[in-house]
Amino acid sequence: MSKFFSALVAATMLVPVGARAEGSIEVLHHWVSQSEVDALNVIRKDLEAKGFQWKDSAVGGASGANAQQALRARLTAGNPPGAMQFLGWEGVQWAEQGVVRDLNDLAAAGGWREALAPQLLPFVTSGDAFIAAPINMHRQNWVWANKKLFDDAGVSVPKNWSELIDAGKKLKEKGVVPIAMGDEPWQIGIIFDALLTDINGPEFYQKAAIDLDPQTLASPEMAKVFDTLREVRGLVDDNFVGRDWAVATGMVINGEAAIQFMGDWAKGEFLAKGLKPNKDFYCFATPGQVTAFQYVIDTFGMFTVKDENLQKAQVALAETIMDPKIQKGFNLIKGSIPARIDVSVDEFDDCAKLGYSERTAAIEKGSMQGAMTHGFAAKPEFASVFSDVAAQFFVGNMSSEDAVKMLVEGIDNAR
Amino acid sequence: MSASKRMSSRLASWLPRLVVAPSLLIVVITVYLFILWTGLISVTSSKFVPVYDFVGLEQYVRLWATPRWHTAVANLFIFSALFLALSTALGLLLAILLDQNIRAEGALRAVYLYPMALSFIVTGTAWKWIMNPGLGIQKVVNDLGWETFRFDWITDPRMAIYTVVIAGVWQSSGFAMAIFLAGLRGVDNSVIKAAQIEGASLPLIYRQIIIPMLRPAMLSVIVLLSYIAIKSFDLVLALTNAGPGAATELPSTFMFAATFRRNQMGVGAASAVMMLMTVAAIIVPYLYSELRERDNG
Repeated sequence: MSKFFSALVAATMLVPVGARAEGSIEVLHHWVSQSEVDALNVIRKDLEAKGFQWKDSAVGGASGANAQQALRARLTAGNPPGAMQFLGWEGVQWAEQGVVRDLNDLAAAGGWREALAPQLLPFVTSGDAFIAAPINMHRQNWVWANKKLFDDAGVSVPKNWSELIDAGKKLKEKGVVPIAMGDEPWQIGIIFDALLTDINGPEFYQKAAIDLDPQTLASPEMAKVFDTLREVRGLVDDNFVGRDWAVATGMVINGEAAIQFMGDWAKGEFLAKGLKPNKDFYCFATPGQVTAFQYVIDTFGMFTVKDENLQKAQVALAETIMDPKIQKGFNLIKGSIPARIDVSVDEFDDCAKLGYSERTAAIEKGSMQGAMTHGFAAKPEFASVFSDVAAQFFVGNMSSEDAVKMLVEGIDNAR
Repeated sequence: MSASKRMSSRLASWLPRLVVAPSLLIVVITVYLFILWTGLISVTSSKFVPVYDFVGLEQYVRLWATPRWHTAVANLFIFSALFLALSTALGLLLAILLDQNIRAEGALRAVYLYPMALSFIVTGTAWKWIMNPGLGIQKVVNDLGWETFRFDWITDPRMAIYTVVIAGVWQSSGFAMAIFLAGLRGVDNSVIKAAQIEGASLPLIYRQIIIPMLRPAMLSVIVLLSYIAIKSFDLVLALTNAGPGAATELPSTFMFAATFRRNQMGVGAASAVMMLMTVAAIIVPYLYSELRERDNG
């Protein structure tokens, strides 16, 4: 059975595997697009220079859910891959099952804890164990705007949400779609996450989206978040049903729509068209009292294995991932910024530089927090309640009070 | 001589069982064993991975307190009822019309049957664009001059489930037509002739004689379409992805999301058991009556 499965995995491999070298490590991940593969090659080459083969097991699709399924099957069959890409709570949850290797020695020797923002630790440690090496950091709460449309309508970069809504109304009068987006719950969730902290501050986000404090969830401040979300809905065209996020990005690029709320994976679409930040398009954080940095990270965890050669390869891979040079090379291609806070971003584009400096400020102010929609705040069973309520509210005509009630009941039911 | 004959007759009696045994074993393991396992999981507190404790009916209580599940159950009944009724009615109508000795019947039949050859993924994706107000039917009619025309059900959470019905009926009514057509061809012409001699009008002949004679075809259509209705997971995923705002959630999409996306394996298992019980509530009496009829006959 497991042989059949490895054959199946081998059939989906992107990189041909040569003779099974003594030190080779199989890495299960869900990165299959061209830029993702190119970025991974930075890691692969460094690993090969150290004398270890990278055995690629890419299982794309469903935002990593398919790769998770593959992992379940592999673990059940007693044949885990050497390493695995983790999103959100996945690594921690597997660590609780006792199948993930503790990298604490490496972390101590390499000073990993000091090189990372303390806010990341809940996702890379489990108890005393260090269970995953983060390679990159995306920011979810970006706004991407078409500069020409802003100039034509006499709109400048908004400083808060009421300015943003007003700007949207102005743009709508000019006949452009103010906000490009689709109706998928996660696209709505990106806006909802941003509103939670922008309108009520990072402490509110902490209490609502991370601690799930019942009083905060039921508070009038929460209703205010929904009120603003309703105003955002008024700035979205009616054809948003079933629209892919990249199509929405294309609308901003083509000048059909003025802005999009999206993580910095959207940046690549602008750069690929040869557009320049601040010349052709704007990138700025969702406007809040305190500028928030809602992070999304990809980490690689290693599974407990008996094979000593593989154990050595795991060490090499973990060190490669945490190598400042590799983090720089990888993120230059991937469009994110290094997970390490001590890597210079001088060679990066202006948006990345802005993100980097805002991250430094946000770490100090406590406004650097995990992005709930991508799994970096409440656990999935709770985060999905937020996403259900926000999505139903957005596409229908529920009142803010009903939405708050539904949210409170839903969270209680999932506890 | 006689020994080998005994041998071969013994083999002959054992061979069918031997041939059937592996597939039976596979079915027992992959279907019934996992049904039992799902039932077991539904009374545990399993979230991310299965755990084997016992929490009674807690997951069922949680399931029925989830608004999404209520939407899913309501949608299943709306969808199945409308899908069955419309596909059957439309299929019967098309079959009767095609049965009037018209020209190019073969070509027309292929045209109506063709959607069945598509997968639900293709149907769903195509209809997603056809029913998008800015790209499909509404835009075409608006551009033709009727500017107040609205067909934006797919964006409206209250109406979105009906768009799934439309796409499903489009795909499956041709299939129903084919079965009815075969049934119509089996109707003895002399019966119709006799009725005509008695002076019965054509509608009356259809209503009183032919359609009642199509009972076996009707039964096949209903059984096959109900099973298509229950497994229409992919149609919903492609057409609306259970949206907008979970408005087109079905029990199958709910079960998948709870189990594999939302860390709620116990709730997912509970929903699967509810689905099984619903199907069993319909199938068991049907099987019972069928088997009893056979025994009597």
